[in-house]
Amino acid sequence: MSVTNPTVEAFERERRRMLIRQRTQAAVGLAIFTVLLLVSFQRSQFFGSDIGGDPLGRMAHFLQRMNPGLKPELLLEDRQTRGSLHAWFYALPIWLRAAWQTVEMAILATAMGSVLALGASFLTAQNLMPFAPVRFVVRRILEAIRTLPDLIMALILVAAFGVGPLAGVLTLTISTLGGLGKLFAEINEEIDPRQLEALQAAGAGPLKKIRYGVMPQVLPNYASYALIRLEGNLAGAAALGIVGAGGIGLELQRAITYTEFDTYLAILLIIIAMIFLIDLFSEAVRHRLIGLEKA
Amino acid sequence: MTRQAYDQALAIAPAALRAPWTRRARDAVLLLLALAALVGMAIDLQLVPGALMTGFGKLGRFLGEMFPPSSGGQSVRILKALAETFAMAFAGTVIAALVALPLGVIGAKTVVSNPALHFVFRRFLDVFRGVPALVWALILVSAFGLGPFAGVVALALADIPNLAKLFSETLENNDPKPIEGVRSAGASPLLVMRFGLAPQFAPAATSQTLFFLEGNFRNAGVLGIVGAGGIGFELDERIRIFAFDEVAFIILLYMIAVACLDTLSRSLRNRLA
Repeated sequence: MSVTNPTVEAFERERRRMLIRQRTQAAVGLAIFTVLLLVSFQRSQFFGSDIGGDPLGRMAHFLQRMNPGLKPELLLEDRQTRGSLHAWFYALPIWLRAAWQTVEMAILATAMGSVLALGASFLTAQNLMPFAPVRFVVRRILEAIRTLPDLIMALILVAAFGVGPLAGVLTLTISTLGGLGKLFAEINEEIDPRQLEALQAAGAGPLKKIRYGVMPQVLPNYASYALIRLEGNLAGAAALGIVGAGGIGLELQRAITYTEFDTYLAILLIIIAMIFLIDLFSEAVRHRLIGLEKA
Repeated sequence: MTRQAYDQALAIAPAALRAPWTRRARDAVLLLLALAALVGMAIDLQLVPGALMTGFGKLGRFLGEMFPPSSGGQSVRILKALAETFAMAFAGTVIAALVALPLGVIGAKTVVSNPALHFVFRRFLDVFRGVPALVWALILVSAFGLGPFAGVVALALADIPNLAKLFSETLENNDPKPIEGVRSAGASPLLVMRFGLAPQFAPAATSQTLFFLEGNFRNAGVLGIVGAGGIGFELDERIRIFAFDEVAFIILLYMIAVACLDTLSRSLRNRLA
C-alpha cells in the first residue's frame, strides 16, 4: 500500500534532503579530519623510520628504564645499597628544598599577580571605569599577556634576569595578572549596583565606593579564583624551572642531563605530591569561602 | 543620627555599628603575618632589588631590539616549524581523546557503580592531572631522541587524565530519559548507545576535545625548548643568540596562528553546542 497523501510526500522529500545534507557534511568533515590526522602523523614523524619506528616498543623500554629496581627486602637499607628507598631518593633534602622554593615562587607570584589584577580589574570594568579609552588599552594589554605562552615569556625573562627564581616569579606574576585581571573584571561587572548608588547618594568618593560598595561583594569570589590560579601556578612554576627559572624543575633538568631516569621518576613523584597537597589545601579553603559567602 | 536612634540601632544590630575590636585586631595581625610571610619568601628566593633593576634594563634593550621584527630570510623554515607545531598538537589531541574515551567510561559513576573502585580510579587520574606537558616532554625527549615524536606523546600524556575526567563527568550528566526511551522501544545495547547516548555525548565530548586542541597548540609551541621539535626549538635558538628581531617575528606569527585556531575552534564549538 503506497502513501499518496501529498503532505506526507512533501515531508518525506524534505526529510530525505536533510538526511543527504547531514551525511555530506559528516563525510566532508570526516575527510578533512582524516587528511589532517594523516598529515599530522607524517609531519610529527610518529611512525618515522629514521627514529626506528615501533613507538610502543620504545615506550616499554623507556618505562623499564624509569623503574628504580626496588627490592622489597632491601627497602630500608642505606644509600649505598642498590634497591633501597634511600638509594632511589638519594638527594631527598635537596629536592624538598627545591620543591619548597617552587611553592614559594607560586605563592609570591599569585599574591603579586592578584594585587596587580585587582588594580587592572577596576580599570577595565564597565561600571567602575567611565573613561572608555583606558578600558580599551588595559583590556588589550591583558589579552596580549594571555595569548603569549608562559614559557616563551620565561625564556626571554631568563635571558634578561639570569638563571634563578626571579625570572620565574616575574613570569608567573605577569601571566597571573593577565588571567585574573579578566576574571576579576567580569566579577566587578556583575556586582549589585544598588549598594554603589547608596554610597554615591551618601556622598562617598570613588575610593570609598570601591572599599565599601565593591570589595565586600567581590572579595570571596576573588579569593576563590586566586586560589584556583595558585594551583595552576604551582604546576607552571615546576615547569618553568626546566628553562632555568629556579625550583624543582631545575632538579628535573639535572636528572635528565645525567640520564638518571629513576631519579627523574623520584622527582616527578615529589612534584605530583606537592601539587596534590596544594590542591587539597586550596580546595578546603575555597569550600570554606563559598560557605562564608552563602552565610 | 540622633542619640536615641543610634541606641535603638545598636540594640538591634550591634555588629553592624561597632565592629568588635577583637576581630579588627585579629584581621590586622593576620594581614601583617601574611605580608611578613611573603617578604620572608622573597628573601628566601633572593629576589634582590639590584638584580631586578639590571634585569629591567636588559629587558628594555631586548624589547627595543625587537622592532622592526624580521624573518632573517628563513620564513619557509619558520612556517614549516609552525606546521610541525600544529601537527604535534593535532596528533597529540587525537591520541589523547582515543585513550581518554575508555578511561572516561570506566571513571563514570553511572557505568562503574562500585563507589570504592570509582574513588580509586578518579584519584589515580587526579594524581597525574597536574603534571605539565613540558615535564613529560623533558623525559620523553631523552628517551626517544630529539624531534616531534616526543612532543606528541608528551601532549597526549598530559591530556589523557584531564580529558578522561571531563568525559566521565559528561557521561554522568547525560539525561537518562532518551536512553530509557530507546531501550523501551526494544533496541539492542549497541543501538541504545548509538541513538540514546551518542547524540548527547558526542557533541559535548567533541567540543571538549577541540578546547584541548587549542590548549595543545599553545603548549606545543614551547615543547621545542626541551628539544621536542616545532616552533619552540626555533625560538629557543634565536633567544640564545639574542636575535630578538627574529624572536619578535616568530612570536607574532605564532600568536596570529593561535588566534586563528582559537577562532576556528570556537566557531566549531558554537555549532556543536
